[in-house]
Amino acid sequence: MSRRRLGRIVSYVVLVLIGLAGIAPFLYLLLLSFKGPLDILEVPPSLHFHWSQITSNYGKVIHEQSYLTFVKNSVLVTGASTLIALGLGVPAAYAFSRLRFRAKDHWASTILSFRFMPPIAVAIPIYLMIRNLGLVDSYLGLILPYVAFSLPLVVWIMIGFFDEIPAEIDDAALVDGCSRAAVLWRVLLPLARPGMLVAATFGVIFIWNEFLVGLFIINSTGHETIPIAASALLTVESPIDWNNAAAVGVLTVLPVLLFSLFVQRYIVRGITAGAVK
Amino acid sequence: MRAAPTQRRGEALLLLGPCVLYLLAFSVYPLVTSLVRSFEDYNSQQNTWRWIGLDNYSQLIHDRVFWQTVEHTAVFTFAGVAIQVVLGTALALFFNQQLRGAAIVRAILTLPMLLTPIVVGLMWRALLNPDWGLANWGVGKLGFHNVQWLSDPSTALRTLILVDCWQWTPFVFVIVYARLQALPAEVFEASEVDGAGWFRRTLHVTLPLLAPAIVFAAVFRGIDAFRTFDLVYGLTNGGPVQATTTLSFQSFQTGFEFYHYGYSTAIAYVMVIVAAIGVTVMFRFARVRREEFAT
Repeated sequence: MSRRRLGRIVSYVVLVLIGLAGIAPFLYLLLLSFKGPLDILEVPPSLHFHWSQITSNYGKVIHEQSYLTFVKNSVLVTGASTLIALGLGVPAAYAFSRLRFRAKDHWASTILSFRFMPPIAVAIPIYLMIRNLGLVDSYLGLILPYVAFSLPLVVWIMIGFFDEIPAEIDDAALVDGCSRAAVLWRVLLPLARPGMLVAATFGVIFIWNEFLVGLFIINSTGHETIPIAASALLTVESPIDWNNAAAVGVLTVLPVLLFSLFVQRYIVRGITAGAVK
Repeated sequence: MRAAPTQRRGEALLLLGPCVLYLLAFSVYPLVTSLVRSFEDYNSQQNTWRWIGLDNYSQLIHDRVFWQTVEHTAVFTFAGVAIQVVLGTALALFFNQQLRGAAIVRAILTLPMLLTPIVVGLMWRALLNPDWGLANWGVGKLGFHNVQWLSDPSTALRTLILVDCWQWTPFVFVIVYARLQALPAEVFEASEVDGAGWFRRTLHVTLPLLAPAIVFAAVFRGIDAFRTFDLVYGLTNGGPVQATTTLSFQSFQTGFEFYHYGYSTAIAYVMVIVAAIGVTVMFRFARVRREEFAT
């Protein structure tokens, strides 16, 4: 066997190992979620499953632990926050990309730097603000801070996309007598749609996973989002009911994983634009 | 044809105003309040605040737990990011060859970053379970003793770093790989003609060209690792005996569990200052990068 051929084989083995290392912890969680409480103790776990056990594990999470309520809460909060953040952030990014004003780069950097602010530093003041507004334990109480958290991300990503669209396109429309806002709405938004999808993707993932501020603001099960509910279920149930905890975990990340399949190409685009988390 | 300056100012206000006002209300205002609160003491029974000047900060300086926490955070950040940079760069170089199915593996690698940190904590607690977890079974098969991954104070921080590396090495990989793909092919062709081997080419040609991307990814990741909260909450809850308590987690516990809001914000403000320094460094690098692309 030639050395080159051997090298290829080693490369493929390494490739498979990398893939396994990436996905194995999730597969293990999936496997545990299919098991009965006592089967968990078997090492290594057998790959023999009972359909009735699977339905009973997931049935418990969905029906008895009101998982569907948490999904509804998460979808509502994530959807509303992402839309509002796009509505505020896209015009701002357009202004940063096209208009000339003093210390523009400085202002852009300042907005982007909020992306790196430790959330714990604002968690208590935000909680007190929300309490003063009488919005503790409500959707709006979560949406207001979540929009602020995802705005820098949206502005950051969208500046990059607007910069790629030639300014001559705006100029042509401006000469025709359109206002800047009209140019943005009628001409540029259709062109910047991929950018908005990238920004929305990362807004959604970030808000779906947000946990710290939600923990302060939500204190009853009625408005809990999935991570908050999951953390409550996990601390209470585990380590007694690992199969139940695993099912909660799988159902928590499954929507994000399915979503990521559809937006795979936007995800890499977003990470390289500095968007993750 | 140019619009009048006043009209253009109006347009700027219309486009930027809502975003700026929103951030002022829900980011800048809380951040300023936080600073003020860090000079105050909160009475949870009467819901009142009392000005105590620098007391919270002087208490911090004498707080043994705080300095331990600083040390944990520093070790977690620097060791974790160093490992992620080395592995992430190695992955980028590995994927630089034509392999069938590589795209699928690259897609798999983006998944850990997207997972809810609470659940990442859960899945690793299962894997590392001392009684039935798969990790110790594997360790045993390799002929080693069982490892107390999470219950031994001297190991727990290393385990936390391990899990952070699992989740975030792909981030460094994606950034460095994107840069590698963007390098002009002539660079490699020229050095190949010179007859340099793969190792020397990588060391003297490829890595210096990747350096800006690597530094950017490292600083970016460093700031995020520095403020890690959810993973600690999900994996170790700061324990055992505070062995994995990071600054975010200590600030959270002080505020959320003990209602010492003033002291909690003082800890958080130390973090804000460190993060601000990190961000300044990062933007300086980003600017260098942009200029470099321009030439």
